[in-house]
Amino acid sequence: MKAFLAIIRKELLEFLRSYGLLIVVLYSFTLDVYIAGNGINLDARNVSVGVIDYSPGFISNKILSDLHYPQFQEPVFFTSQEKLNLAIRNKEIMVGIVFESDFEKRYHTGNNPVLNLLLDSTASTQSYLALNYIRHILMRFQDTSSLAPAEIQIHKLFNPNTSYSHFMALSEFLSIITLLAVILTAAVFVKEKENGTWDIMLLMPTDAKAVILAKSLSQVIIVMVGTFVCVGTVLFGIFDLPINGSLAAFMLLTFFYAFTSAGIGLFIASVSRNIMQVAQLSVLIMMPLIFLSGAWTPVYAMHPILECLSIISPLRYYIQGSESVFFRGTALIDLWEYFAGVIVLGGVMFWYGFRKIGKLF
Amino acid sequence: MRIGVIKAYFKKELLDIYRSKLILMVYIMPSMLLILFGYGIKTEVTHTRTLIIDNDQSKASYDLVSTFEHSKYFNSEVKNLSENRALDLIKQDKKDLIIIIPEEFEKHLLKGLKTSVGVYIDGSFPSRAKTTENYVNGIIYDTIMKRSVSKAESKALITINARNLFNQSLRDEDMIVPGVISLVLLIAPAVLSALLIVKEKENGTIFNFYSSSVKKSEFLAAKLLPVLLLHGINIFILFLWAIYLFELPFRGSFLLYTFSSLIYIIISLSVGLLVSIITSSQIVAYVLTLIITIIPGFLYSGMLMPISSMEEESVIVAHIYPVMYYTHILYDVFLVGDGLSASKNVLYLIILVGYAAILLTVGSLLLKKRIA
Repeated sequence: MKAFLAIIRKELLEFLRSYGLLIVVLYSFTLDVYIAGNGINLDARNVSVGVIDYSPGFISNKILSDLHYPQFQEPVFFTSQEKLNLAIRNKEIMVGIVFESDFEKRYHTGNNPVLNLLLDSTASTQSYLALNYIRHILMRFQDTSSLAPAEIQIHKLFNPNTSYSHFMALSEFLSIITLLAVILTAAVFVKEKENGTWDIMLLMPTDAKAVILAKSLSQVIIVMVGTFVCVGTVLFGIFDLPINGSLAAFMLLTFFYAFTSAGIGLFIASVSRNIMQVAQLSVLIMMPLIFLSGAWTPVYAMHPILECLSIISPLRYYIQGSESVFFRGTALIDLWEYFAGVIVLGGVMFWYGFRKIGKLF
Repeated sequence: MRIGVIKAYFKKELLDIYRSKLILMVYIMPSMLLILFGYGIKTEVTHTRTLIIDNDQSKASYDLVSTFEHSKYFNSEVKNLSENRALDLIKQDKKDLIIIIPEEFEKHLLKGLKTSVGVYIDGSFPSRAKTTENYVNGIIYDTIMKRSVSKAESKALITINARNLFNQSLRDEDMIVPGVISLVLLIAPAVLSALLIVKEKENGTIFNFYSSSVKKSEFLAAKLLPVLLLHGINIFILFLWAIYLFELPFRGSFLLYTFSSLIYIIISLSVGLLVSIITSSQIVAYVLTLIITIIPGFLYSGMLMPISSMEEESVIVAHIYPVMYYTHILYDVFLVGDGLSASKNVLYLIILVGYAAILLTVGSLLLKKRIA
């Protein structure tokens, strides 16, 4: 037990003294999460609009006056189709609106008035959303609700304003935990391997199991401290992330997950001989796990084979569990699936890595 | 610069990369990233788990329900639950969408009285919630309009004739794949060049360079040329994946694609060089390179959000990173096809060359041939 604590202390000290690593880890838990949460927004905001107006302009100006901040920028008028096309091709304009000369006449006589739109759909998400905004504006403009009186009351639960910063910050934070827990653990072992001290460690009179466990635990501790820092300062402090479930449950889940990742790190460490190989293997193993986790595409929308495979991605349970705690406010009892998933997979991975790295030759 | 020295050093580096199985990282990682991201990032939302509570049980409500049932976007189920029970299902992540059709829905529609359909969407994943909202709005609206608006009335309504330029069918792949290519070509060469130099620092073999008569320029050439050469082949591999696997169109000039990509790789490996100067252990160099390339690569590639719709400050930051210029050219060669006839592409290409020159110069100036 004394040796166990000594090793943990040694590893933590070593971490604190390697300033480069310390700074990088701190950076990833704070600024990096902040940048991701602050910067990524898939909404169509501030869409640039270019207009060619061949019509007399009464109706068209009324419609255009509805295109405003935050969705649209002030429309820019063009005199010819070519100039508008050029602006779209140069990505200065995303939505081009063309009013034909007979637009107003057709509108007044009720003879199929047509609004021509040119959308730069290299960014298909935003152009699709912009199209929908314009459709809404037209509906309001013509007061279609008097024709069909049904209204659609949409409630977006847990995130009524569709804010991206909460979601993005949380996702980035979850990826950072995965990345660091795996790489740090793998590196701690492989550094000793590279220097040739690992065999000596295993030959020492201290129990090899205690050595391995202490070394992995020290990295888990580092990740957990990072988690506290990140959750406290960035997620709660800056982004004011609401938490609808229990924070303790999240922390516990994170702890188990950090161990699971450390297990993956152990496995990587056991099969690689130097840091270079750790770098390769960690990407090769983590990317598919992230892909299968449903972080990008929900699991139920995947191909059935992939859906089955996703059962083995511990990140799947962790992401769903964390999102449930933060956003959905799921009751503790309904979280058991996620805990079970993380713990079972973590147990298997840790056990396997443990056995592999503990072998001397 | 002595060609003989460079040749020998270069040969040693290549052999080293080959023998240490780094070659796997050079060729598997970029392709794997492209395939995973290309398939993985979907903005189209399908199979939304939907629960419909039909309190009306009339012809009109059946119409609405069957439209949902026949849509590929929804996996719908009709059940009679209380609203609270239904909301619990969302909380437990069992359903994503709940639609509640009110009593007397049909009657009100016929009489032209106000009636409202309740829709609850799980907003945890914002972009998906937004898309679902649009789909649901569209479906309900169209169904109701079809029932209650006469021909003459609908003729008077303004219709939208939208043309999606460059990506007619709004394919996700067309939007994502060029962005991922730029992301991959930013990360992979940077990681490799950073590791190649820091490895020597950490193992102490860098003293061979410090103490031998090898010049700085020769050392750099021997370290960076293999990266450029090996990743240069990736330009073509990624191109083949994009065209044959993801079936992207290629409307621009291949020469422009190759040339700008090579310049971009030089930028990326210069970033790696800069990282290798400030770090002395491989693990720090590795994590640092990943972090400083992935996030800007995502943010400013235009893959997820166009630069033109960013806020003021982000626009300025986006112009500072080289990512934006390269992706502009990439989207051009794949989807637009203006090539060098558009002055903006020429300008951006020149800026890229400038970046490569500056970063490489700064990197080589900062690299010291002695112990710091």
